[in-house]
Amino acid sequence: MTSYGMSHEAAREALAALALDALDPAERDAVQGHVPQCAECRAELASLREAASELTYGVAPVPMPEVHRNRVRSRLVARAGAEGAPASPIVDRPPVALHRHTGEHRHSDLAHGEAVDRAPARLTPASLQIMIPHASQPPQLSFWQRAVRSPAWWVAIAASIVAVSSLYSLLKVSTQRDTLTDAYQMAASDKATRRSVVDSLRLVVEDRDRVIANLTGPQVALVTLTAAGARVPAARMFWNQPVNAWTFIAHNLPAPKAGRTYQLWLVTATEKISAGTFTPSVNGDAIVHATYVLPKDALAAVAVTDEPAAGSPQPTTVPFIVGSNSGR
Amino acid sequence: MNPTPSQPPYPLSNVAALYSNGDDATAMLDAALVQRMAKGDEHALGALYDRWHPLVHAVVLRIVRQRDDVDDVVEEVFWQAWRQAERFQTARGSVQTWLLTIARSRALDKVRALTRLREEPMDGVAGDMVVQLAAEGDPAMDAEAEERRTIVLAAMRDIPVEQREALELGYFGGLSQSEIAERTGLPLGTIKTRMRLAMLKLRERLQVLRGDAR
Repeated sequence: MTSYGMSHEAAREALAALALDALDPAERDAVQGHVPQCAECRAELASLREAASELTYGVAPVPMPEVHRNRVRSRLVARAGAEGAPASPIVDRPPVALHRHTGEHRHSDLAHGEAVDRAPARLTPASLQIMIPHASQPPQLSFWQRAVRSPAWWVAIAASIVAVSSLYSLLKVSTQRDTLTDAYQMAASDKATRRSVVDSLRLVVEDRDRVIANLTGPQVALVTLTAAGARVPAARMFWNQPVNAWTFIAHNLPAPKAGRTYQLWLVTATEKISAGTFTPSVNGDAIVHATYVLPKDALAAVAVTDEPAAGSPQPTTVPFIVGSNSGR
Repeated sequence: MNPTPSQPPYPLSNVAALYSNGDDATAMLDAALVQRMAKGDEHALGALYDRWHPLVHAVVLRIVRQRDDVDDVVEEVFWQAWRQAERFQTARGSVQTWLLTIARSRALDKVRALTRLREEPMDGVAGDMVVQLAAEGDPAMDAEAEERRTIVLAAMRDIPVEQREALELGYFGGLSQSEIAERTGLPLGTIKTRMRLAMLKLRERLQVLRGDAR
């Protein structure tokens, strides 16, 4: 089957990228033109999208600072509460029974698993009418006849409606005001804490920005190191040349033997420069940061050797992982 | 089964059972909350926020990377969920998947907006860093999410580094295949192949989460 100039085979090949939203616009349009017409591709795309969405679970949850968390929560609930309020009184609502509880009931009780519609039964002119005692019973007709002819009765009815409506509106506004006030007070009272949090976060962000810049800068040179073995160690050296920053990232490194450590070397045509010693995590991962001035074309290779715990001035063993600088 | 660095330290069949039960309960509670949201219950929104804000926050932070902007994006994620609760259909996926999809989308929108604002190219993401940072763990997270994360990370480690990098630049970096090719200096065809192989391997490794290993 073809559609939008794309064969089934070509579309199927592109589904993984579509699941990641990584297709270029023209190809995306072509694939999206094919998928609705092809049950096989629809199922495949759904399956791949589900797998892609799991990637987010690989990110370690990071609780928001309490002040931030509460502030966002208060704002959300207040916004939702304000939007959820009716734009006008519900005059067409069927009359409610006299015994029905007519207060505000919007609190969730998740612990009890209740899932019923607990939308508030709002007091309206229509519902108020049935609060008149025995309004439809024949013995009260003479009372009614007298009442409806009395202007004072109608004034009292109108006043009651206005009073109850106003009371309801007041309660609603008051609730929203309290929510907003809580949010404001929360933010204001934690000013000092917030400043402290901001300061510490700034340090974290600055550190992370530095790492990111050293990995992704426009003049970063990259050396990939490889090795043989059952579980192959892999490593990359990012060299941010303008600031002379070196970032070494490795995976699957075996733990060094007791009394030994790994040592990282910058290899030039004339010398081997130590970039520091390191020990990988229990997962075999490692990151090493170093600063060293080296002429742009001087780096021949990057290597890692197994050395005594204190390190060595020059490599004493054959590098077990090495990468040549072939440029990007 | 003896644990190895690339496999979770427990029988996969048990993990499938754990998730088939846990997911049901989680899905029911989340679906009930979204149902209430659709009916205008703002407290259900608060409850959904309480349940999912750590993960939503982490995903947004992972993509946006600028603390100053994270709170606003998190708020917009849940606000969009509130506005679209009526349209949510459980048959099309779980609430958490729906929520995290919104989170990723809003976070990428923010990154693109900031990039336009600064008139500079969007930074790529160092794929290798992701697993490294995520592996540091958070003792406060609940056991189920921790187990799930362990499995996802193990699956990611099983993917060759160069394939993983293509996958993460696409998913977390919001880069298209052409942009990744341009950024890495690799042929477009290479990027396409790497991304496809990474996705197929990821799906295969994560089947255990759905208990339908084939």
